[in-house]
Amino acid sequence: MTANLTQQIRDRARDLLQSGTVSCFIAWEPARFEHWRTPVTIESPDEVDRIVVDEWCDQLIAKYALQRRGDGRIGMVARGCESRAVERLVADRQVSRQDVYLVGVGCTGMLDRDGGAPLKKCEECQRRNPVTYDEMVGETVEEPRPYRFGEVDRIESMEPEQRRAFFDRMFSQCAMCFACRNVCPACNCRSCFADAERVGWLEKDFGLDASRYWGLMRAFHTGDRCIECGECERACPMGLPLMTLMHKQVRDIDRLFGPYEGGGLSDAGPDPLRSYRTDDVEEFM
Amino acid sequence: MSVTSDAVAAEARSRAEGAASPEGGAGSPWQPKILAFCCNWCTYAGADLAGLNRMNYPADIRLLRVPCSGRVNPQHVLRALQDGCDGVLVCGCHPGDCHYVSGNYYAKRRMMVFKRLLEYSGLRPGRFQVRWISGSEAGKFRDTVVSVTEQISQMGPMASDAPSLEALAGADALLEAARGAGDAR
Repeated sequence: MTANLTQQIRDRARDLLQSGTVSCFIAWEPARFEHWRTPVTIESPDEVDRIVVDEWCDQLIAKYALQRRGDGRIGMVARGCESRAVERLVADRQVSRQDVYLVGVGCTGMLDRDGGAPLKKCEECQRRNPVTYDEMVGETVEEPRPYRFGEVDRIESMEPEQRRAFFDRMFSQCAMCFACRNVCPACNCRSCFADAERVGWLEKDFGLDASRYWGLMRAFHTGDRCIECGECERACPMGLPLMTLMHKQVRDIDRLFGPYEGGGLSDAGPDPLRSYRTDDVEEFM
Repeated sequence: MSVTSDAVAAEARSRAEGAASPEGGAGSPWQPKILAFCCNWCTYAGADLAGLNRMNYPADIRLLRVPCSGRVNPQHVLRALQDGCDGVLVCGCHPGDCHYVSGNYYAKRRMMVFKRLLEYSGLRPGRFQVRWISGSEAGKFRDTVVSVTEQISQMGPMASDAPSLEALAGADALLEAARGAGDAR
């Protein structure tokens, strides 16, 4: 990210708000402590100087567009992950593409606010440049496309009992806070099975069965739409390696019904588990 | 399955030593409990035909009739395994023969990915199976039930899959390693 990116984004946001192209502009602003950034929705050209865009903007802001539906066109800074999230929301009929104005930026990865190490989600990133945008600020960046299935390989090579132990320990630490759902751009259902009042779907007990049920079903619900932004993992207060479940499914779908690179890509076609081919591989006969 | 893995492991050990299942009453040997989701138009008719032909198959299987294999929510499968079933079988029409044209094609993709996800997260292969059985395939229905029941019987109760304490202790180190640089942020 270039040094004057913040200024460029502020200038564009001011122009877009003044000209009436957008009714609001979503970006980040400094938060309470050094290196902390928090999403902000700017509604007036006078306020654009609050915006900061730098290597500490660890949160994905695309889902905030859902809160502004119906308020006119929404401006937004779009890195690779935001652009894929918007494509996801468009594919899920949550917003229409014309209602979002994306100011694209190339991204070279964000840093952990505690300590400054590169974020794991950014080290696994497959799309640093936006896949869709209305205008681009600055230059596009190189796409290293790192291998992201290392953890999946490691777990797949274990014996079933070891895998069961691994996930038992993982799910037994789940706090059932639903932060993974709340940040996920693919989790955009109006009502969630976890909130359903009907008895028997997900009850309020607090044990391994309940958290395994939550963890696996949340992963599967978003499995064929996951944009691999890694927000679930970043937001998890227990630091659980949730992306291993998502990467597993992405690779399975790629191998079974592929080629498939993950959700939220402009040319991805229909979602793999919401479509079929009559010549799909057969293993249940 | 109970609340903590330790309790599950203890339960599994006591069962492995030959104790009777709590549901089975004193002294009766453990019998597997297998839930079979059967599509109304094919497999349920196939099961009916097996009955008409006086075919014998183990009574450890419980049939649950659903309109279509596409009706089976993966949540049903996981919840059944958590709530006391030792195995789950999902059956539907052959691909191409669905009464609703495409329900089993969706079910096929869904179950292929879900089965891999369950087995990835530690379910023993064989606990969850899917088969296509048409209305005329009474013999295939019987053979499937016999083979699934045999496999599950050999595996023992679901609780016996609970990891050993050593495996759980080893998993902690692996979990720490998997957290990576993005830990808790």
